[in-house]
Amino acid sequence: MPSIDSIGENIFQDTMNRAVQDVFRTMLGKNATLVHGTGATDSNGQPWKHPVEHDNSGLQVVSTVGFIGDISGLIYLYLNADFAKFVASNMLGMSLAEVEEGGDEVVNDAIGELTNMTVGGFKNQLCDQGFPCKLTIPSILRGSNFSIEPVSGATRRTYMFDVSGHRLITDLLMKNSD
Amino acid sequence: MRYKVLTVDDSKTVRIIVKKAFKSYDCEILEAGNGVEGLAVAGKERPDVILLDITMPVMDGVEMLTKIKSDPELKAIPIIMLTAEGGRDNVLKIAKIGVRDYIVKPFKEDLLIEKVGRIIDLKPIAEGPVKTKSILDPCTILVVEDKPTIVQQIQEGLKHTPWKIHGMSSTGEAIDFCSKNTPDLIMLSLSLPEEAGFTLFRLIRASVKTKYTPIFGLVVKTEVNVQQNAQQVGFSAIITKPIDIPELESKIAKAMNLDTSKRYFDTQGDFLMMKLPENCTAIVVNEVTNYLKPKVAEAVDSGIAKTIIDLKEVKSLNMNVIKLLLTTMQTCRELAIQFALVGNDAVSAECKSFEDTRNWTFYTSLDDAKASLSKGGATAPAGAA
Repeated sequence: MPSIDSIGENIFQDTMNRAVQDVFRTMLGKNATLVHGTGATDSNGQPWKHPVEHDNSGLQVVSTVGFIGDISGLIYLYLNADFAKFVASNMLGMSLAEVEEGGDEVVNDAIGELTNMTVGGFKNQLCDQGFPCKLTIPSILRGSNFSIEPVSGATRRTYMFDVSGHRLITDLLMKNSD
Repeated sequence: MRYKVLTVDDSKTVRIIVKKAFKSYDCEILEAGNGVEGLAVAGKERPDVILLDITMPVMDGVEMLTKIKSDPELKAIPIIMLTAEGGRDNVLKIAKIGVRDYIVKPFKEDLLIEKVGRIIDLKPIAEGPVKTKSILDPCTILVVEDKPTIVQQIQEGLKHTPWKIHGMSSTGEAIDFCSKNTPDLIMLSLSLPEEAGFTLFRLIRASVKTKYTPIFGLVVKTEVNVQQNAQQVGFSAIITKPIDIPELESKIAKAMNLDTSKRYFDTQGDFLMMKLPENCTAIVVNEVTNYLKPKVAEAVDSGIAKTIIDLKEVKSLNMNVIKLLLTTMQTCRELAIQFALVGNDAVSAECKSFEDTRNWTFYTSLDDAKASLSKGGATAPAGAA
């Protein structure tokens, strides 16, 4: 059975970069630029801290989709509330006022689908490299001052993107299948 | 019959995007949020195409697909997977169950339309009430021709029209143009190397956006076989080189179903103006004859009772034109409309040599003709005899 150890850091980063860029370019007509990416651990060999725990940008919309199979994991997408509305507005071809009128439900659904496509794009590339796996249904978390911790034994990689001046963080948590 | 497209996806966002994509086409979009709902709608509505997601709660897309394929009543419905679940092996496994196509998200709306358009005959719908385009409205015409002289000749010949002629010298340029614009009419040279004109014709017809766009073939007059081939594959018209510009203009107007009446008929205050062009070909006479009765009736209906027949630009008369003028006068008399003729010296002189037209009198200006009718001119032969 293949192991995630056989996948190099640059492959993870390139795969994530391609997936994010493809989704933003196709669905929103926007460029996503990778600003920063981490390896599985920090320079002290410790897992990376939660990507937004020191961020004071207020309300966050966090969406996650998992992939299960020969390789398993979760990807969280972190967007602040304004960026989430911006994404929903561009995906749906609605004005910001229309999105606001639709409420959180409209934004949550759009961000859930954005995550579904991003994680799909990521894991489909892994499938083609010999790691078959399937997607799970998206779930959404809204709030501020919270942190999401991986279970022990999971590796964490975070990638920061710039989209039209907004910050997108993808948080990749992975575990080898037993 | 209106086509029905069923979108089965747990994401309302995707369902909205799908609806938006098909907004300009004559079809009904049905929605379902999971496989169970999808099966119920499919059973009740019998859609013409199903767009199916895979990862959904309650019942996923693979289960729904399997159930549809085992239902004798539903199994013939074409299914396109629209899902983020990709990966070669995955796609192959699902394709084996029996799907017509597979789109991996993220997706462009154009791609969705293109794939669905291969299954059902998607027809664009006009936004708002349908309005016939007139000869005076702007139109986009694409000419694919590798000989710049021909493109120039067409541009020069049609420069008096509001039509924008875009010349492209290769099929690549033409495809690129069509992806960004929707031309109202396309002219393809059938002399392009390697029968590229025919290849491009098939590509244009395969695209939902240009499926119904009139396509003309440009071919040398003597190349009869090529003309026959073009007719067989379904070119809307064949234009032979050397190009007869008036004939081309007329064919374009006909293919685009343009209302050309404004070229000949107009209203100015309480006058109906009928104006004949410099060169009154058989096509022109035929067009004017067809518009004559409805236009005069329309004028009468709106309270107009005076007509000016303007022949000032006409170079010379022929029997067809004279017949048209006699019919016009007769129509005016039947509806008790006063009329006056405006002409030039040549036309006036020619009229003297025919028995039927000898007594016609022409004013030299529109103002004089209008003034004569305002004084209470007659419905008598030749306006101001």
